[in-house]
Amino acid sequence: MFKKARITVVIMLFTQLVGCANLGVQSWERDLLAKKEMTLDAEGIDLGLDDHIYFSKEATSGGRAFAGEGCGCN
Amino acid sequence: MANNLRHFLLSMLLTLISITPLSLSFAQEIAAPDFAISHDQLPNKLSDLNGQVVYLDFWASWCKPCRKSFPWMNQMQLKYAEKELQIIAINLDAEATLAKAFLDKVPALVPIVYDPKGKIANIYQLLGMPSSYLIDKKGNVRFADKGFFTRTQPLYEQELALLLNE
Amino acid sequence: MQLISKSHIVKNNKTVANVNTALAAAACALLGTSPIVQADESVWEMDTALLYYGETDRVTAVEGVFSAKKDFGDEHIFSGKIVVDSLTRASASGAVVQLNAQTYTRPSGKGQYVIDVGDIPLDDTFHDTRVQLEAQWTQPLWNDMRGSTGVHLSKEYDYLSIAVNGSLTKDFNQKNTTVSAGLSLAFDTIDPEGGRPVAFSEMVIDEGQFANEEAYQAAFDATRQKDTDDKTTVDLMFGVTQIINRRMLMQFNYGYSMSDGYHTDPFKVLSVVNDKGLTQSLVHEDRPTERTRHSFYWQTKYALDSGVADISYRYATDDWDINSHTIDSRLRFNLSDNTYIQPHFRYYQQGAAEFYQPFLIKGITLLTFASSDYRLGEMTAYTLGIKYGVKMASGNEWAFRLEYYQQDPKNADFEAPGMLQQLDLYPSVKAVIAQVSYSF
Repeated sequence: MFKKARITVVIMLFTQLVGCANLGVQSWERDLLAKKEMTLDAEGIDLGLDDHIYFSKEATSGGRAFAGEGCGCN
Repeated sequence: MANNLRHFLLSMLLTLISITPLSLSFAQEIAAPDFAISHDQLPNKLSDLNGQVVYLDFWASWCKPCRKSFPWMNQMQLKYAEKELQIIAINLDAEATLAKAFLDKVPALVPIVYDPKGKIANIYQLLGMPSSYLIDKKGNVRFADKGFFTRTQPLYEQELALLLNE
Repeated sequence: MQLISKSHIVKNNKTVANVNTALAAAACALLGTSPIVQADESVWEMDTALLYYGETDRVTAVEGVFSAKKDFGDEHIFSGKIVVDSLTRASASGAVVQLNAQTYTRPSGKGQYVIDVGDIPLDDTFHDTRVQLEAQWTQPLWNDMRGSTGVHLSKEYDYLSIAVNGSLTKDFNQKNTTVSAGLSLAFDTIDPEGGRPVAFSEMVIDEGQFANEEAYQAAFDATRQKDTDDKTTVDLMFGVTQIINRRMLMQFNYGYSMSDGYHTDPFKVLSVVNDKGLTQSLVHEDRPTERTRHSFYWQTKYALDSGVADISYRYATDDWDINSHTIDSRLRFNLSDNTYIQPHFRYYQQGAAEFYQPFLIKGITLLTFASSDYRLGEMTAYTLGIKYGVKMASGNEWAFRLEYYQQDPKNADFEAPGMLQQLDLYPSVKAVIAQVSYSF
């Protein structure tokens, strides 16, 4: 029961962030953010390979991407 | 629950805004905000160019589509030079050296105005990079474009031609 | 041409904000929790990688990846990926270590293997090749919204997995905030060699007690279920990406996963020991047929003057009572315009599943579900790695990665009877990861 309450609180905290309308930059101030290495899927191949290793060797999967990847590795 | 109500209202507002029909008249007259220009081949401020069609292009070295916009702008400047078209490329790099490195690789036949602190960009409240504004002979902004795509080039040229023939 | 939404006008009083004209679709899309963010127009971007994973004395794997991505105009992006991997050597069977040599039957029923005194029982018949195919399509929809959909297929000798996914992403605040929601459905079928074992049935070991081959086979078959089984998984993901300032952006994801079906590992067994710690028999494990998981993920990327700092934290919990914390960090230092070095540190900690048992004690432990797969037990793990990248004059990139991964299983408060007290029941697993990548 405490687990459910904890989960609800965290979800609500996340939804609050949509109201963060004051944060951010103007479109012409995106020089650093535009760099390829600043995108969230930079090094996507490495992340995919790592996800596969840790999914096979540990009990947790997903978080950054979908959890149910699907292979008979563990 | 105040939070839930606020989020509900916010999403309703956004939904209403996004589905509102945006029937816009291209002839609506909005005066282009004036600004000082520091360039030896151009007059001191934008309003001094009244009587000419002005194409303002906001660009930066880190913006990928900007690389495609320059060849097109060069072409347009040459094609319509005698028809009183003035293209001004306003650079928004924080450091001029980056802009100069870009221009070494992508030559520009159009005058470059440097706005490293983004003052002019702020006046125009750009929504994306690159952004371009087409100003008619009376000094009103008639077209605003966000982004640059090769397949919309003919459309951009159509807009230019329309204003030049007025 | 896409008409501009008026949301920015609501906040803006300036005259120019009322420029009401048709606008083309956004150019520099920077955010998105969708799988693909940006690609150069009309050029195939390809990434290839070859990875070697080797544990000391246990599993080794070689994995090859080929991925291609292309923007077909106006941010209609296709991305495809092929992965082939091959696993060999031995993996822990789940049985407990003993002070005498032990004989085990291979999961197929054909053949046996002997484990030496004091060695962790590893079944070395494990040898499998897997092929994985993925395709994903992303494109803008109306009003600052993007949609993405894809398929995923994974096939190995005894396991098939098919998944479809779909997600929607919307930008707010001049793309400073991006919200996304995604759904994935996966359907897996498992058909192991020798059939799936009956839960808690004893491993049949031929030590001369059978009259003939048929008698042994009949005894073996009695522990097997004939048909294949499957597993369905539904995944939901909600994410928010927020630009904090000129140098920093953050992402928050909440993931919910519900899987239903066969979760048991058909190759894993548990040792049934007496009060002196001596193995009496081996029984096949059994896991629940349902699993509900929640994960909370937070990532921050910070642009340094010459590099990027990337740090993330994930908390996961599920109804098998497994809770885990993961901290993952990468620090990229640009050595020059064309080269960089990137150290990597990851820390992982998990609690044991409620049905995890390192062994069963004869007569005492009576359970509905049980597994001694150490990957469901309590453990901490850490990874230390370094990556070096170099960009050639042609624009193509090489990268080399070397990592060390160590898992330290822990005793989740199980009292070991008899001789088991003198033995290391929770040995560490040490692995080396080496990877070469080429992008063009």
